[in-house]
Amino acid sequence: MGLLAGKRVFSIMALCMMVSLLLLPIVVALPSLAIGEEAPAGDAAKKDGDKVEKGRDVYYKTEGIVVGAPAPKTVDGPRDYPRYNFESRVLLWFANQQHLYYGSFVLAVPIFCMIIEFMGVVTKDKALAKRYDQLAYDFIKISLTAYSLTAILGGILIFTFLTLYPAFFSYLSGIFRPVMHIYALMFVAESGTLYIYYYGWDKMKEGFLKWIHLSMSVILNIIGTLLMFLANSWIGFMMSPAGVDEQGRYLGNIWHVIHTALWNPLNLHRILGNMAFGGGVVAAYAAYKFLASKTEEDRAHYDWMGYIAMALGVAFLIPLPFAGYWLMREVYAYRQQMGITLMGGLLAWLFIIQATMIGILFLSTNYYLWQAMGRMRGAEKYQRYIKYLVFILACGYMVFITPHTMVMTPAELKAMGGQQHPVLGNYGVMSAKNGGINVIITTTVLSFVWYMRGNKVSTVSWAKFGNIFMGIFFACAYFNIIFLAVYGYYIPANVRVGLSVPQVATTLSCLFFMFALNSVMMKGAKQLGPIEWGKISARSQYALIMLATAFTWMMGLMGYIRSSVRLFWHVNEIMRDNSPWAYTHTVGFAANMISFNVLFFWITILFVFWLGSLGAKKVPVESKAGIPGGVPQPAASH
Amino acid sequence: MKALMSLGALIGVAGLLLLGGMVFDVVPSTTIRLVEGYMPIQMLLEVACYVIGFTGLSYMMNAMGMAIPRFWQGIGFWVFFLLYLKYRMYPPIPFSVRAMYGTVSLVAVFMWVSASEEDWQKFKQPIMNVLDAQTGGNRLLRYLYLVLLPILIGGFSFNAMMPKSEEPIELRTVHPAPPASTKVHGKTYTLQTSQNPYRVNPEGKYDQEFSNANIVEQGMGRLMKPNANPWDDKNQGYLKYVREGGEIFFQNCHFCHGDNLNGRGLHAFAFNPIPANFTDPGTIAQLQETFIFWRVSKGGIGLPNEGFPWASVMPPWEQHLTVDEIWKVVLFEYWHTGYYPRTWD
Repeated sequence: MGLLAGKRVFSIMALCMMVSLLLLPIVVALPSLAIGEEAPAGDAAKKDGDKVEKGRDVYYKTEGIVVGAPAPKTVDGPRDYPRYNFESRVLLWFANQQHLYYGSFVLAVPIFCMIIEFMGVVTKDKALAKRYDQLAYDFIKISLTAYSLTAILGGILIFTFLTLYPAFFSYLSGIFRPVMHIYALMFVAESGTLYIYYYGWDKMKEGFLKWIHLSMSVILNIIGTLLMFLANSWIGFMMSPAGVDEQGRYLGNIWHVIHTALWNPLNLHRILGNMAFGGGVVAAYAAYKFLASKTEEDRAHYDWMGYIAMALGVAFLIPLPFAGYWLMREVYAYRQQMGITLMGGLLAWLFIIQATMIGILFLSTNYYLWQAMGRMRGAEKYQRYIKYLVFILACGYMVFITPHTMVMTPAELKAMGGQQHPVLGNYGVMSAKNGGINVIITTTVLSFVWYMRGNKVSTVSWAKFGNIFMGIFFACAYFNIIFLAVYGYYIPANVRVGLSVPQVATTLSCLFFMFALNSVMMKGAKQLGPIEWGKISARSQYALIMLATAFTWMMGLMGYIRSSVRLFWHVNEIMRDNSPWAYTHTVGFAANMISFNVLFFWITILFVFWLGSLGAKKVPVESKAGIPGGVPQPAASH
Repeated sequence: MKALMSLGALIGVAGLLLLGGMVFDVVPSTTIRLVEGYMPIQMLLEVACYVIGFTGLSYMMNAMGMAIPRFWQGIGFWVFFLLYLKYRMYPPIPFSVRAMYGTVSLVAVFMWVSASEEDWQKFKQPIMNVLDAQTGGNRLLRYLYLVLLPILIGGFSFNAMMPKSEEPIELRTVHPAPPASTKVHGKTYTLQTSQNPYRVNPEGKYDQEFSNANIVEQGMGRLMKPNANPWDDKNQGYLKYVREGGEIFFQNCHFCHGDNLNGRGLHAFAFNPIPANFTDPGTIAQLQETFIFWRVSKGGIGLPNEGFPWASVMPPWEQHLTVDEIWKVVLFEYWHTGYYPRTWD
């Protein structure tokens, strides 16, 4: 009893310590924030009387006291751009991308852990609860090794900046000085919380202590998310600077510097993107372990793990295109040139590649779900309709990837009679593409619904009505999406942009309403057979690996697009890039570089997985009793 | 059900005969016209009809005891789709796009035939039979593949490596990003915020809604709205300026951009690429009026770096027209095509 009370006191203390760690950077930063807002004005005014120099914020258009130096006008030479005998930009690209991959992974996995641990705590089935708990533990174990690598890569990134772009880094750190140390302290808080969370797992696995443990994961994720928001503010500032005047001089308001035009859309997009990416990587890990498994038990465990990771990843993938759409809308609103360069001009072809990757993600997801229906007895009734889903998906995908400006030889151009094809050129504009992607997502929702009811027969009295209603709902959704896509050609552009709202609303209604209705209908449903975990085709696991690779490739691509849209600016319209590399790479070079980054990440993450497996081998055989792999037939729940 | 499937089978056979005719040049591709304005959805509907037809055909063949093996169903559908793109669609689709569609359809066929274990076994059975070579015929086929596959790959490689005298492919940026502002006849215009001074109502006030209500019907025919004829002398404001813009257009622009503004003017095919087609939903319909104002004023010579390889012979019209004339021409182009300029509100 005394021991238990002691544990409770200890865990509450640990939780309080985490909260303090979370608050520490903010408390430390309060004076600097205050200085940022008021102090310069007051102090400067007192000292220099009317000599105070004022500047006008380039974005907020407010006046402020100039407290920073202007953005340096760099010249190509060893002072501003020291270099090795190699393109500095490519080195920085590599260091940045690897840090981002690992950063995304270690920020996403704790969120998964939180969700899965919560599911384990609230579920009434004790065996299932234990399985969820073990799964969450497996997840965090993978991320722990990756965490050290993230910190190492962060260090490499900073050294790369300092060594190759000293003038730029000096300017940026000058602007963000008030929050630079907050970032560092947040990292300390994140590390401390993560280690307590991980090492406290076994000691806090039941009752009240479990809730304390769960609360720690919430704090861990708050810290992680704030960290990411801060990092996002730098790239937001580089793309859409605010809080400085036309010369790039800091005007004393750090909130303006952080809260730029693109900060919030970037934050949302990155949270969703990280989650989808994290899910993909864990699913690929599970797929790899599944394929390498020698026993039925292991196959069952990793099949289940892959499914959960995929489902969580896809749950965040579905809203991702909408968040991306918001980001692009804000980019257009911020600078029309930037928007046109991205989607209609220089970088438009990269967006076609992006559309291709998004399509691959959804196609892989659907394929995995269809394969997963193979391990359920009773799901055969849906198999014969899959070909129609394939057709709908393929049509949506083809519309989604059709380029407006096609790659063609001059002879083909002459034969076509113009730059745009009169039939297919119509697919190249946003109205059709919105229709395409919404059709794809709605079909994915339909696949999920079929999967969820695969081995069940509803026993509610209104089952027939419910099924008809669901069928009509989906049919109307498809009709509405396609109708709005066609109608978009006949209305003004600003109204057309607005049409995406009802299209998205239709897709999301399918998602939420159909899922909810299906859950109600399947409550207490008759089971036609159990889910035979582990009895899934190898093809499904390759689909998971494909999913993860496509995520990784797409992240690399989008990062490149976002960065290169600044063209020859370090900080858009404020600090010019005068290095010899202030040009946009060819599509081919960019694709090769992204592929190299993806390959490097996967080789290193395999190393991380291997390290994780070394740790697992050390676990004594007795302590393995009761872990999910030991349960031959996992619970039938989805 | 059987009647429906029979109807489907009939559609399938008719469709296949039609496509076969197009492939062998017996039936012109234009036999069933692709209707302008509705063409994209027509193509999808046609392919959907074929899918329904093939479903019916497969069902009927199965009922008659002549089921088509899954392997040939998959391969057959893929080949059909490639032929459809090549011979049915006109004008010809560039190879790059056909390659993209061909890959997507190949993936789709794979997803279909391997969606369930039973289907996958059926599909790969003929392949496994050839690889196992248990019968004489299969053994012969295996040897044939052993010889033919390297020859085929070698042929492709040779073809790819062989020097060609074709003009290189250009990845042209059709709509390069405009500058933040442009100076025309000594006055600076901010592209994000400037407005067409002639988009006004009869009282002379800037009125986007009024002009939007008076443009031609977009789509087939491009009919004028009732009581909105710019050539009616009584009309003032927007419609009057549309008329003036039209006069300028037909004096200066239509030689290249065409009477219907579709880029097929008298001189159009002397240029490569041909002039912009304003009736395409991807040109002026996507852009702000100020973008067109900038492009008309500065012409091909004023394209930014991003517009590489600057493949445009459009003259810098600021050297020939006044600012007012340029704005009026822009107004006319939107009126005639029935498109609304992009706005950001």
